Amino acid sequence: MGTYILRRLLLTIPVLWGIATVVFFLLLVVPGDPADALMGHHPTEEARRDINAKYHLDKPRLVQYGYFMWRLVQLDLGRSYAHKARVSEILLERAGATVLLALTALVVAVIVGMTLGFLAAYRQGSWLDGLVMAISVLGISTPVFWLGLMAVLLFCSVLWLLPLPDPEITLRHLVLPSLTLSALLVGYIARMTRSSLLEVARQDFMRTAQAKGLSRLSVFYRHGLRNALIPVVTIIGLNVASLLGGAIATETVFAWPGIGRAMFQAVLERDVPLIEGGVILLAFVFVIANIVVDVSYAALDPRIRLK
Amino acid sequence: MGKLGIGLAALLVINAIVATVTISGSWTPRNETLMYRFKTDAPTLDPAYAHDTTSSTVLQCIVDGLTELDAETLDVKPELAESWEISEDGTVYTFHLRRGVRFHNGREVTADDLKYSMERVLDPKTAADQRWVLEEIVGSDEFSARKADHVAGIEVLDPYTLRIRIKRPYAPFLGLLSMEAASPVPREEVERLGEDFASRPVGCGPYRFVVWKRDAYIILERYDDYWGEAPRIKYIKFKVIPEDTLALEKYLHGEFDLLMELPVKRTRDMMESRPDETKVWPMLGVYYIGFNHTKPPFRDNVKLRQALNYAVDKKAICKVILEGVPIPARGVLPPGFPSFDEELQGYPYDPGKAKALLAEGGYPGGKGLSEIILQYNTSEAHEAICEAIKNDLADIGVKVRLRNFEWGTHLESIRNHEPEMFRASWLADVPSEDNFLQLLVTGKESNYSGYSSPEFDELFDKSRFSTNPDEQRRLYREANRLAVDDAAWLFLYWYRDVMMVKPYVKGWVRPVQGDFRMPLHKLEFTSHPGS
Repeated sequence: MGTYILRRLLLTIPVLWGIATVVFFLLLVVPGDPADALMGHHPTEEARRDINAKYHLDKPRLVQYGYFMWRLVQLDLGRSYAHKARVSEILLERAGATVLLALTALVVAVIVGMTLGFLAAYRQGSWLDGLVMAISVLGISTPVFWLGLMAVLLFCSVLWLLPLPDPEITLRHLVLPSLTLSALLVGYIARMTRSSLLEVARQDFMRTAQAKGLSRLSVFYRHGLRNALIPVVTIIGLNVASLLGGAIATETVFAWPGIGRAMFQAVLERDVPLIEGGVILLAFVFVIANIVVDVSYAALDPRIRLK
Repeated sequence: MGKLGIGLAALLVINAIVATVTISGSWTPRNETLMYRFKTDAPTLDPAYAHDTTSSTVLQCIVDGLTELDAETLDVKPELAESWEISEDGTVYTFHLRRGVRFHNGREVTADDLKYSMERVLDPKTAADQRWVLEEIVGSDEFSARKADHVAGIEVLDPYTLRIRIKRPYAPFLGLLSMEAASPVPREEVERLGEDFASRPVGCGPYRFVVWKRDAYIILERYDDYWGEAPRIKYIKFKVIPEDTLALEKYLHGEFDLLMELPVKRTRDMMESRPDETKVWPMLGVYYIGFNHTKPPFRDNVKLRQALNYAVDKKAICKVILEGVPIPARGVLPPGFPSFDEELQGYPYDPGKAKALLAEGGYPGGKGLSEIILQYNTSEAHEAICEAIKNDLADIGVKVRLRNFEWGTHLESIRNHEPEMFRASWLADVPSEDNFLQLLVTGKESNYSGYSSPEFDELFDKSRFSTNPDEQRRLYREANRLAVDDAAWLFLYWYRDVMMVKPYVKGWVRPVQGDFRMPLHKLEFTSHPGS
């Protein structure tokens, strides 16, 4: 297992290299001169030259790519145009807020989504099943932006249950954004748990378990759920990235000082190094999340051996 | 299930750890804290680089300049310089510095600090965004090109006397010296902090920097050894709230004392429902549709350009699309400038006159005129405005096709004089008339319409270097009138600024450069804030 993880970790290097390359060349195609983005109204020719020299923008593109890769090898993401600070610093400073939000949303989504999916499968065809499926469709299809603003207006302005969103985070400020962010994942997890559980329910060992006198609930919970988990875990792994991506909208609505907002702002300001750094970081998280998922298969199903 | 439970528990534990690290507010007493909203975070707090309004809002509290510009009247007032003399020919400035001014680290500010700070901005190593502020100084180019060790035009005569020579007489220079980039910063702190100076600035202004949590808040505290009148409010807290709707909601809940950017859709509602708190005033900005003067049909056809100017109902655009905030433009130079031309009428909406002029211009009823491209940078508001123009022009028989690009592409395209018509706007970066008039000067980079008039260029040069203020104002006005008579642009509207101020806030003004020039250190509370 150790060698398996090590091999997977080593494999992330070419993956990240590929992503970094694609991002680099995509951003080269983006029109507009960084000097304009950097200097507002007043880039004189001289200043433009200085800026281009400072960021190596006066060199041929392949040379620029070389500089870019050389920095990456040294784990240096470069300096942001807009912030005059290291990209790694900018991302690190905001990472805590984003991780807090994404993890909370993840935990909420797993608990709520699996409970709902379990109930729907357990009472398949009942009104409860219908309700759960309706909720999950709503969760999947409602834009985070709209959902967030509505939640703010309802809970903060009309009902006065929670404080208005604020960049100075307290636990009470965490409630709305994490619920909003989890909505999408709750939908996916509930649907996946339900269908996977129903599939498992048709198998022989489930009937056997019931025949030996266990209650239906107990059969579903002890024998069914565990065997239904693999697809659910896959879905969770794939959506870790969407949690971080969804954080862009959520963080903007809720004034949450995280990575998503910094990246959104970077796109608006054409802050190329920050966009590159952010994308590479997200890609890294995504790859790691997938390794964790693959490793957890083995933990969930002893028949699976990692090689 | 046990393993899933363990997994969840592990996640919860990690989450709790992250939470304890992340959750850490900075508390300042509400009744001693001015709460100010930012839409985005400040990119930098180093005066050499700060070229955006957000950074300037913070920095002007932290640093002081040789001069100060009155936010409402644009009068130049002494700040760190107690007095100054200007040579006969208008190129040599001798400043007498105030004594006993101290940086926030306690050291006294002398003429050497000013020289150091200005050279820092001009130093090619710094690659300062704000280099242009000082480029009128003699020797700045040689220094920036590494051909000189010092800027020849900056001389320290004694610790309290500084002499600056500029390349040619340039009246707005005193005003430029009020900008953050021209203010002194302590060398020892810059060298000690290196690039961190941009996140922990030190100056000699009325407030000192306390803490900056990126994308969350910046806190400043009153500097007790300030040379001038001490601020009444002990703390300023700038808080970043990206969403306009949420920011207004927080203002209404008493969480902000001032609010500068309102959601467009609720501006009129606020103007009507809270007239005492909602302030609207003219600021130095113009929004226009540029004609392409480098090719037909607009080249050398003043009648056609005038016709289009008369054909557009600017009042309706301001009122319906822009919620009644801006006012129709009657020229290049907006109200707010001392030289503002009250009598100039511009081109009021008059379709009859427009049709007549169109015929005089050689295209009766629009016949013979092929479809004109009107290009704008993608945004909902620009689109609505350009649609309205298209409809108005269709009424006199002029066919227009709209085309939109993202800002970078749009800018490149209009710099290359590609579209026949385009939307553009200008907000003063230097509060001086020549900053606007240069938009029409032959060969200037920001002259996107390619307008070229020897007469206008001559007036511009004369006005720029005139040393007599009255004469200068007359020349500005004349140039402005010439641009209007020549219908150099399709003049659309002048910006007005909107802000909301709580009734208990005293000392606010209407800054013509825009709300970011509000002198926050002069505000005070007349009763407990937050109500």
